Amino acid sequence: MASISLRNVVKKYGAATVIPDLNLEIEDEEFIVLVGPSGCGKSTLLRVLAGLEAIDGGDLMIGDRRVNDVPAAKRDIAMVFQDYALYPHMTVRQNMAFALEMRDLPASEINAKIDAAAKLLDIHPYLDRRPKALSGGQRQRVAMGRAIVRDPQVFLFDEPLSNLDAKLRGQVRAEIKTLSRQLRTTMVFVTHDQIEAMTMADRIVVMKSGVIQQVGTPEEVYEAPINLFVASFIGSPSMNFLPITLEGEQLRLAGGDSLPLDSGLSTGVSGPDLILGVRPEHFEVVPEGQGIPAEIMLVEPLGSDTLIHVRAAEQDLIARVSPDLRPVAGGSVFLRPIAGKAHLFDSATEMRLIGKNGK
Amino acid sequence: MRVENNQRRQMAMMSLPALVFTVSMIAFPFIYTIWMSFQTYSSTGQITGWGGGNYRRMIDDAQFWNGIWITFYLYALSLVMQLVLGTGLALLLFRAKRLPGILRSLFISPFLMPPVVAGMMWLVILDPSLGAANWILTSLGLPPSDWLASPMMVVPTLAIIDTWQWTPYVALIVLGGLQSLPPSVYEAAEIDGASRRAVFFRITLPLLLPTLVTAMVLRSVDLLRFFDLIYITTQGGPSNHSMTLNIYGFRQGFEFFQLGYASALMVTLSVMVLGAVIALNRLRAGVEW
Repeated sequence: MASISLRNVVKKYGAATVIPDLNLEIEDEEFIVLVGPSGCGKSTLLRVLAGLEAIDGGDLMIGDRRVNDVPAAKRDIAMVFQDYALYPHMTVRQNMAFALEMRDLPASEINAKIDAAAKLLDIHPYLDRRPKALSGGQRQRVAMGRAIVRDPQVFLFDEPLSNLDAKLRGQVRAEIKTLSRQLRTTMVFVTHDQIEAMTMADRIVVMKSGVIQQVGTPEEVYEAPINLFVASFIGSPSMNFLPITLEGEQLRLAGGDSLPLDSGLSTGVSGPDLILGVRPEHFEVVPEGQGIPAEIMLVEPLGSDTLIHVRAAEQDLIARVSPDLRPVAGGSVFLRPIAGKAHLFDSATEMRLIGKNGK
Repeated sequence: MRVENNQRRQMAMMSLPALVFTVSMIAFPFIYTIWMSFQTYSSTGQITGWGGGNYRRMIDDAQFWNGIWITFYLYALSLVMQLVLGTGLALLLFRAKRLPGILRSLFISPFLMPPVVAGMMWLVILDPSLGAANWILTSLGLPPSDWLASPMMVVPTLAIIDTWQWTPYVALIVLGGLQSLPPSVYEAAEIDGASRRAVFFRITLPLLLPTLVTAMVLRSVDLLRFFDLIYITTQGGPSNHSMTLNIYGFRQGFEFFQLGYASALMVTLSVMVLGAVIALNRLRAGVEW
């Protein structure tokens, strides 16, 4: 129920600058996922939004209110912590009531809010239990319940799924997404898991070393990553990178093989110092002579498809192929990027080169 | 099978010294004391009778009931002061984070001091005519006190001395408890809008209860058996106003050679200590989170 603006935000810890200069506009009711490797500043950014950390420069707006100097309690935000941070000596009901009691709400209103949230999250049976007596998934729900009862303007999530097992994670992921539709509240979600980012976000913010690399919808960051970092971080397994030299209409690979230049990639740039990026799912297996020869080192069947780790053009690559192909380690295949799906990067600037087709 | 038997024998051999030590140093004296508490002795140490006479004698002994009262009065007063001040001190230290080494040594020095030395020191400080305590009181315009010589003041004074000595110990235990509390819970409370007062009374204190009960157990055992400091300073006086059960038992045994009666008093004290420990352990189970 509020937009968020970060303008030239600076955050330092002592002499170390964690966030040098950050600008980000988050729209009302938007589900934003901050994603990046450990130490990229995403959690710091979340704590800055929460008011748990003060900023050293710039402006932070929630709605049309400048909250730089507004304490956490007065920002009207709720946060779900990585370890849930439930009050261990209180029952689930008391945990959810605490923030409301701090606002001196009447007991009847507090109970009504708790009941509504408990119904929404299906945690009624545990209301009188303490956190110790709950499973990880249940604690996670209670942590969300504690946030929901406050009816905040903004929800902040700090890697809330990282302590759940894989199966539960998928389930809770879907639940949070559904919840965000029902609550229609601005949500900022921090994760290092790009699958969580892809599946939940309206827009993804990819960060590295305190600097935003790219902001875009999941499709945008997947299909048009702005640089090598985003390209390698989003998508699993990671995008393959091949150093190439562009000679006219031919992509010359290390080891002497070459591929015809995909028309979409043609940029007018030519010469060495280019990198071809191909996602594992964007390789196709072709008859001999039409692709680059690849020696299969390892086969990982996933059921729906099969990953093959190959050695080609003096690089270790991964390709996602049909299981019907029945690849075997030690065998060989010929691979070619699917037309229109490969990317070209400048190896000096690490930026993606935009093709003639505008993509 | 033979290997297993062999191993078992070796294990028994290896634990034998510890077992012998435990039996001879703890179990034997304790059982012997219980046995003695059912004897009556002449002043020369000859057994003159057998039975529950010593325990019957306690019931009619006003000094015994006085001892129980003094023991509990001193216990409760000292325990409350040490817990409150110890928690306060721990919170200060917790906030201060880094404390210079010299300050830390200074801070834990009271409980490293032998109680006898502490007792002597406080005797000097509290001397009604020459001591620093009264000098400070009178220079502040307050009336001087007889401290350990006053029937009214003797127990509070002993409690103050013990509190001076043992508060740092309690503070260290509580500090350990504070340091183990999850920091994210405090951040959650900050976001939930809890005032400092609410954080202390609704988060910190309940979370510290198990630690506080542990400190209570450790101090209870010492406080109920309070002996050395009293023996050095008042020996139970003035006129029995600091005669705890332990001091009373000691004097019965080693001044009046009433060995049977002294043993019965000590057995009673042991039962009280045991009862307190059991009660506090129950309490701890209740406050565990």
